[in-house]
This record gives sequence, structure tokens and C-alpha cells, in this order.
Amino acid sequence: MDGKRHSGEALAKQLGITRSAVWKHVSRLNQWGLKIDARRGSGYRLSRPIDPLNQKMILAELNRSVAQKVVSLEVLPELDSTNHHLLASPPPPSGSLSVCLAEFQRVGRGRRGRLWSAPFGSGLCLSAGWCFDEMPRDLAALPLAIGVIIRGVIHSMSGRWLSLKWPNDLVWDDRKLGGILVEASAECRGRCYVVIGIGVNVSLGSDWLKVVSDWPGGATDLCQMTEGNPPLRNALVCRMLEELVTLLSSYSSGGFKDYYAEFVSANYLQGREVAVLDGQHNFVGCVDAIDLDGALILQTETGSRRIISGDVSLRLA
Amino acid sequence: MDVRKVKKLIELLEASEIAEIEISEGEESVRISRYSTAVSANTLAPNTPAPATSMPHLGTAEVPTTPPTETGKHTHEIKSPMVGTFYSGPTPGAKPFVEIGTEVMIGDTLCIIEAMKMMNQIEADSSGRIVSILVENGAPVEFGQVLFMIEA
Repeated sequence: MDGKRHSGEALAKQLGITRSAVWKHVSRLNQWGLKIDARRGSGYRLSRPIDPLNQKMILAELNRSVAQKVVSLEVLPELDSTNHHLLASPPPPSGSLSVCLAEFQRVGRGRRGRLWSAPFGSGLCLSAGWCFDEMPRDLAALPLAIGVIIRGVIHSMSGRWLSLKWPNDLVWDDRKLGGILVEASAECRGRCYVVIGIGVNVSLGSDWLKVVSDWPGGATDLCQMTEGNPPLRNALVCRMLEELVTLLSSYSSGGFKDYYAEFVSANYLQGREVAVLDGQHNFVGCVDAIDLDGALILQTETGSRRIISGDVSLRLA
Repeated sequence: MDVRKVKKLIELLEASEIAEIEISEGEESVRISRYSTAVSANTLAPNTPAPATSMPHLGTAEVPTTPPTETGKHTHEIKSPMVGTFYSGPTPGAKPFVEIGTEVMIGDTLCIIEAMKMMNQIEADSSGRIVSILVENGAPVEFGQVLFMIEA
């Protein structure tokens, strides 16, 4: 984990397993996307040091009033999808948060089932589950509000100015740093269970950054953004959980208006030409504003148009 | 179910032209009928017109739910809780969650409504058979728009 070289013998002794078992585990780590530099006679070394997620450390560092609201916090080495895991688990009681973190997500779920994955420990895959007794009025704008708080956490811990691409991407230097995927299950009236998935690239490394993004500008990670000094993942998780609990506790009464101004000030698309694909139609326009309910307002040839769903991409000049 | 809620339902029923209403909430359900059980909607002959004469007529009164169908069974509307795009299946090209004729249980996922990339799985709040699907895959839906009819 520390990026130093350790002999197979020493590792075997420390873990209480045989040297051949160490070798087997190392091959497994390679499958997880962790590069292990193995050299005959000098042992194993992680080609990139990682800062593993630690459940105890996170719980101990959490602000106490927030820690009381976290009913479960799982840190798993390997998972299909942290969102899927929580959606399949029983919802937490209303007013409490259930949290799931994974070091390696085999199948990250983007919008409409698009797949992505990240090497072990190189990203932050956090999902949080919360129940509202009644569907909040501004439920649809929840991904935007979550974007605002996550952006705030990263901004305060890195000192870098980030922007938000409507509705759910974190952007730095015209490149994608992360994204938010909120999934909810709701009765048509009444109770509503939301699972908030947050994915942030931490230290993917240049090879991965080239392949993970469908963005024209490509992807970036916290390492690149901070010139090699990214905030520690455990500390990031703590701050994110604190902000999430604050937001979710007041969202039913406060709604999106509390986050509106900050979203507008960080709106990456403001004034830009975009193409929209909303499932049935394709059209282009210039981003004019964000509506009070979170909708994107475009100026098109046929006049002003409100966008609530669909894919919005930048049109390159 | 809260007694006050039941009282409110009774008031609602009295102010409308509906003969009978059935509401399910989780595992509880309550059925309120304006008439004694002997002449409840289920025992009326099919196509019997509602005995409107004895009812206060409100003209524009909204009909909230469960109009008896021709077969005497009750249909239940599933409405969209939000504005967004309607998706019939979990991923593009995937099999739809439900089709006409599918038997659903309370809590089964019927569709996804997407708004601002939030995927909202809409669950059935009553059990029964899907008798109509009123929206096409990928179409925009409004708040309160009827998406499905379920026959109990």
C-alpha cells in the first residue's frame, strides 16, 4: 500500500499465509486493475501507492451528530455497483443514512445502464441511501443539489475551482472529474427511497484517464488536479457524508432553492452551444439559464425551451 | 390506516358520484361503499348505471379512482409522481418491466421516470393485472399523468 518493495516471504509471514498464496493474491490484485511490480529476488511493490478506505477511521472522524444518523457503513473491496447494492438492501429508517463504499467497482452504472469501471483504490465510489416519508417537492432537482455539495467539499479540500455540468457531472479544466447518479424507488404517492451514487476519479493515472471518458476533453482526477497531492479519500468521505446528511435532513422543507445560486455560479454550460438528445428529439441551442426547479433553459431557433431530461453535450465549434 | 384519513375518504366519496372506493397503503387496504353491502358495486349487474338521482351532483367533481368497469372489476390508475421521460425498461433495448396482461404485486417496478438524470423507479401501489399502458417508451410525461391502469 505504501509503494515500497516487500518480499514475498515477509508478506507471507505478516499475513499468515504461504508464499504461493501471496502470489495468487497478487494475481487477483492485478485483475482489480492494481499494478503490482513483482521482481524475482526483490519482492512486490505497488506501482502506485493507495490510501485504502477505512470504515473505523471514517466513523471516528465523522461529526458526532452525523455519525448518529449513519445506520450502516459498509466498505467492500469489490462490488458490481454500490448503488445496486443499496437498492437491493432494505432501506434505512427515515431520517437515517445507509452508506456503501467500494474499492473496486466491477460495473459502475452510469445513466441508462452505461458501464464504466475503475481500478482498485483509484476512485471514490460512494453510495448513500435515504428515505423520505413523502416525496419531496423538488425531488427531480436532487442530483443538482447533491452536485453543489460535492463540488463544495472538493473545492474546500483542494482549493481548486470546479464547475458543474447540468445535470450531474463535476468538471475541472474542461474535463470530467466525476459524476452523480441518483436512483429512487417511489410509490406514486407517499414514501420514497433514494440512493445517491457519487463517483470521483482520485488517482486513475494517465493510461486510464484516456479510456474512461466519453467526453471530448477526456477525464481528469484529483491527483492531476492537485499536482499529485489529492485530499485523502477517508477524509473526503467524511466531509461528503456530513454534507449529505445536512442536505437530506432539510431537503423536504427547503428544497432546491437553497442550492440554486451556487449551482448557477458553477454552471459549466452557461452561454454555451449544446446539443440535446432527449430520447425522441434532437435539437441544438444556447444555454440561457437554470430554472428555479433545476430545468435547463435553452435558446433555440424556435424560441426558449425547457429541458428536464435527456443527454446534453457541448457542441464543438 | 389513520381514522382521520378514513373519515376524509368518506367525505370525499360523499362529495362525489362514486359508489365505492378502495385504497391500499402498504399491506392495509380499506374499501368504502356508499351503499349497504347487499347492493355494493360488485353485486350490481354489469353496466348498471350508477344511481345518480340520490347523489349530490357536483358536475366538475374529480373522479379520483376505481370507477367500476364493465366487468364489475375495479381499475386503478398509476400516475406519474413527477415530470420527466418515461422508460418502460431498465436499459435501452431491455425487456419492459411490464406489458399488458402482466400480473403485478404491490412494490413491483412498473417503469422508470427520468428527470435530470435521476432514475425514479415507479412501483405499483396496488396488485392486479396491467390492462393498459398509456405512454410510449421515451415519451415525456407530466406530473399526475396516468401511466398505467391496473385491474384488481
